This record gives sequence, structure tokens and C-alpha cells, in this order.
Amino acid sequence: MACTHDHSCEDHDCSSNWSLYKHIDLSKVTALNEANPGSVKSVFKAWEERLNSSGEHLESNEGDPELLVYIPFTSDVKIKSISVVGGADGTSPSKLRVFINRDGIDFSDAQSMQPVQEWDLVENLQGVLEYQTRYSKFQSVANITLHFPESFGGDTTQIHYIGFKGEATQLKRDVATIVYEITPNPSDHKTRAETGGGLSHVE
Amino acid sequence: MVLEATMICIDNSEWMRNGDYAPSRFQAQADAVNLICGAKTQSNPENTVGVLTMAGKGVRVLVTPTSDLGKILACMHGLEIGGEMNLAAGIQVAQLALKHRQNKKQQQRIIVFAGSPVMHDKKALEMIGKKLKKNSVALDIVNFGEDDGGKTEKLEALLAAVNNNDTSHIVHVPAGPNALSDVLISTPIFTGDGEGGSGFAASAAAAAAGGVSGFEFGVDPNLDPELALALRVSMEEERARQEAAAKQAAEEASKEEKGGEEQDATMTERASEGASEADNKKIEIADDDDTSLQQALAMSMDEPTSSQDLQDTEMSDAAAEDPELALALQLSVQDSTKDSSSQADVSKLLADQSFVSSILASLPGVDPNDPSVKEVLASMQNQSEPQQKQDEDKAPKKEEEK
Repeated sequence: MACTHDHSCEDHDCSSNWSLYKHIDLSKVTALNEANPGSVKSVFKAWEERLNSSGEHLESNEGDPELLVYIPFTSDVKIKSISVVGGADGTSPSKLRVFINRDGIDFSDAQSMQPVQEWDLVENLQGVLEYQTRYSKFQSVANITLHFPESFGGDTTQIHYIGFKGEATQLKRDVATIVYEITPNPSDHKTRAETGGGLSHVE
Repeated sequence: MVLEATMICIDNSEWMRNGDYAPSRFQAQADAVNLICGAKTQSNPENTVGVLTMAGKGVRVLVTPTSDLGKILACMHGLEIGGEMNLAAGIQVAQLALKHRQNKKQQQRIIVFAGSPVMHDKKALEMIGKKLKKNSVALDIVNFGEDDGGKTEKLEALLAAVNNNDTSHIVHVPAGPNALSDVLISTPIFTGDGEGGSGFAASAAAAAAGGVSGFEFGVDPNLDPELALALRVSMEEERARQEAAAKQAAEEASKEEKGGEEQDATMTERASEGASEADNKKIEIADDDDTSLQQALAMSMDEPTSSQDLQDTEMSDAAAEDPELALALQLSVQDSTKDSSSQADVSKLLADQSFVSSILASLPGVDPNDPSVKEVLASMQNQSEPQQKQDEDKAPKKEEEK
């Protein structure tokens, strides 16, 4: 299910909608079957730069258009829709299958597992297409894995931009680090009541 | 310090019986595996290593990736050699084992020891290589052992298919005096992609070098200088002794049959073994051994003149503290040599009353003060009859007195 922008973007700031890239933990983003290790990080950028292909882009290995991208977020997010800008000459991906909150997926897992949702993509060189998700399934996403099994006939698959629209919650799925104090010392925890008013808030 | 899960594929096929890598190909391989496991677990405590065998009845995983070095070393025991190596299946099973590693954050690596000929064709190996690269598994190949025409080419093709940014390596180890492990220590397989070598690798290299800068005899001179000195001195002593023995053997060989030489060799060995114990005692023992060696040789050549000296020397050596024991030994030795000389000694001994009485005292149930005993002694002393009769008398008398 794709929808296009039927208005010009000067009226409002579309890019604020696509700001989930700020919540991506870029250091932990990995991709399988990428030709240049680490090039996957270049596809996560601001909405305005989605067509800016002067920098690096993600490309799969020669002769094998399959790609697997693992994206962890810094906090749980709700994803409303996904946008993918591919390459020209048939190097755009034709299908997308996503998996939620599973790490360590490799190609054999991706091919055999049932995805949370999958889409047939079209060539989206201008970056105006977005693919809506079944929102109820994408409510608390800590990490997402995108599997692009094929391209439009090209030898490789190129991806220039991946964008997520949605909102970020402040929740995290990580292990919580809690410090227990055996003998708490109130002077270590200055409350606002003492310093000047307001609700007391112990950190 | 890369966090890595490694699977080591061991070749335990029939080709590993060959001895062109000391002591045997299989043993050299096992040593290398032990070294690699140690290096990996030391470079990062969270690293895991697993082992599987490729030949035998089939590919068999001995231990799944674990950071417990003892488990890995234990599973290397009792491995049997046989069958043919199945490289493709081995690598695929290794990949599967890595896929199910517990810590998904670890990088995946496979180390293959390819000692026997490779039966698969290049295409198949390249497919496997591509699959490994796609799943970002690194591959290290140790090419040793058999070297038929196509093997090197096939392995190079496999490496080219797998290699992603120089994370995979291949090492060719030809047969020679250097141990497999020593050659591997300096390769990127050990040093881990140009990190500069971990401390383990560096110290292992130093131990393996065995030269002036390294640790001789596996003992660190800084830790235990006395032991290191003792070992060095004993080495030199043994060398000197062996040279002397060799010279003697060369001389005697011209006159003596092989039997003497063998005896000489065994005595040399025994002498050297006995001598490698302590500092000062060594030197004394060495001297004694030299003389006893000469006397042993002389004895074997049936020279009666030197035999007595030999016996005396032996006596002084072995029974310095116990004169009775010494004399008894002398007696027993002399029984086996020529009659004339020995008998003379026996009679001399018997004539020595104090000696005889002390011997009799040590016999159970004999009282030297017994008049009958004294009678016998007196009669023995006075007699200068043929020694055989004396012996006969002595023997039955001893029996009587018991």
C-alpha cells in the first residue's frame, strides 16, 4: 500500500514526520551481503537529503541482489510507514519483508521465517512513495530487520535512503540499571524543594 | 580484541599419519589447534572456540563454541585418524554451528586445516565461499600436508570468494624442520588482522624461537635462574660426554663387535640421564662414569688386568658407606669372572677373620661365638688347600649354621 504526497512540501515540514532516523542506534546497524562494509550507515539521513546520492550508498555484492539490514533503535518506536529509495537501472529492490525485535537473523532465517509484514515495492527514485505498516504490529519496535530478497533485474541492489515515519516513545527494551543504596544520604539527592520550590524529584 | 566465535575444522584423515611434519601431521595439527584456542580465548575473554573433525565416519562436532579452554583441550584427546576429509560438508557444518552461537554479537570465523587432497571442484568451493561471505563469516585456511596440483589453486579460489576486506587469510605451510605451530604464530591467523599480536602470541613466539633471545629449555631465566643455569650446564656436560663416548666408540669399533658399542651407548644414555639432576654432583658422576665406561669396555674385551680395577671402582661407587656390602658385592661379582683371580680373592676374604665373623653375625641364627663356628673358621684359615674345597666347605657349613 503506497501513498503519494499530493501536496507540495513547502507548506509544511515533511521532514519532521520522518525524523525517526534520529532514534536509530547507528553504531549497531549492520547489513549482510553489502559490498562495502559499513556503507549501510549512509542510508539513514534526513528527509531532505534522501535524494542526495553523492555520498555512499548501500550496495549488495556483485551478482547477488539480496540484502539484509538490521536496525536497532535507541528507544522503542512506533512505525507508521517506511520509505525506500533505490538505485536506477533495475537496481531498486522489488520486495521488502520486515521482522521485528529479533536479532541475529541471517539469510537462511530470513528466507524461511514468516515476516511481520511484506510489501511489493516499486521503483521510487524520487522518494515520494511510502509504504504503510499495520500499525498495531509496530507499536513497540526496539529493532527492525529489513530483508530485500530481489531487485528489478539488476545484478546488484542499491539503496540510497531508508526512512521511517512514526513516533518514538521514551521506553527502552534494554536491561534497566538500578542503583540500590544501602544507606541513602539525603544530602546526595538535592531536591528542588530545598533549592527553591517545585516538586521534589529524587534522581 | 575482536569479539569472535571461531570454529576450527580439523583434518583427521588417513593422510595425517604421515611424518613429514614432526612428530606426525596429526600431532602438529593438534598442537597448532591448542595454540590457536589459547590465543583466541586470551585476546578476548568472551571469545568462544569450537572444534569439529572433517574426516572419519563423517563430519562430527567435538565441542560447540565455548570459552572453556579445558573442554576444548580435552576433546582433542583420543581422536582417531581415518577416512577422507570432506571439506565442503565440514565448512557448512561449521557455519551452522556458528549460526547457533549463544552471543549473536560475536563475529563469525572458521579456521580450516586442509592437509589432505581436496576432492571438490573449484565451482563448488566458490559457491561455498560466496555463501560464507554473504553471511559475513570469515575463513582462515591452513594449507599443509598433501600438495597435489589443484589443491592450492582451489583453496586460493575459495579464499577469493570468501574474502571480504581482508578478514580471511590463507597460509601455506610446507613440510620442514619448523613446527606447524611456529609457522602459524607469525601469520595473521594468530595476530588477528594486524592488531599487532596479543601477549600470548608474543610469548609463544619467544618460547618457540628457543634462541638466545628466547627461553631455553622452556624455563624463564628471569623466573628461575638457578634452574636455567643447571639445565644449561647439564646440556653442555652431556654434549661433552657424548663426544667422548663417541670417540671411544669409534676406537673400540675397530676392534670390538657391535655388542660393545651398544653397551657403550646404553651406558652413555644411562650416565647422561643420571647426570642431569643437580649441579655439583653431576661433575663427580661424570668422572666416575667415564672411568667405569672405560672399564666396562675393557671388561667386554676380556682383559683380566683391568677387570679388578673395574670391580673396585664399582664397589667404591655403589657401596661407599658399607664395607661389608662392598665386600659381599665383590664376592658376587667375582663369582662370575675367571676362577683363578676370583678364588684367590675369596680365600683372602675368608682368611680375614673379622670379616667372616661379621658376615656370620649378620646371618640369622648364627652365633659367631659358637665354638663350632670358631672351629670352622680356624680350619679355614689354616688350610691352603684348593679353593674349591673351601668353597664347598663354606657353602654346606653356612647351610648347617642356618
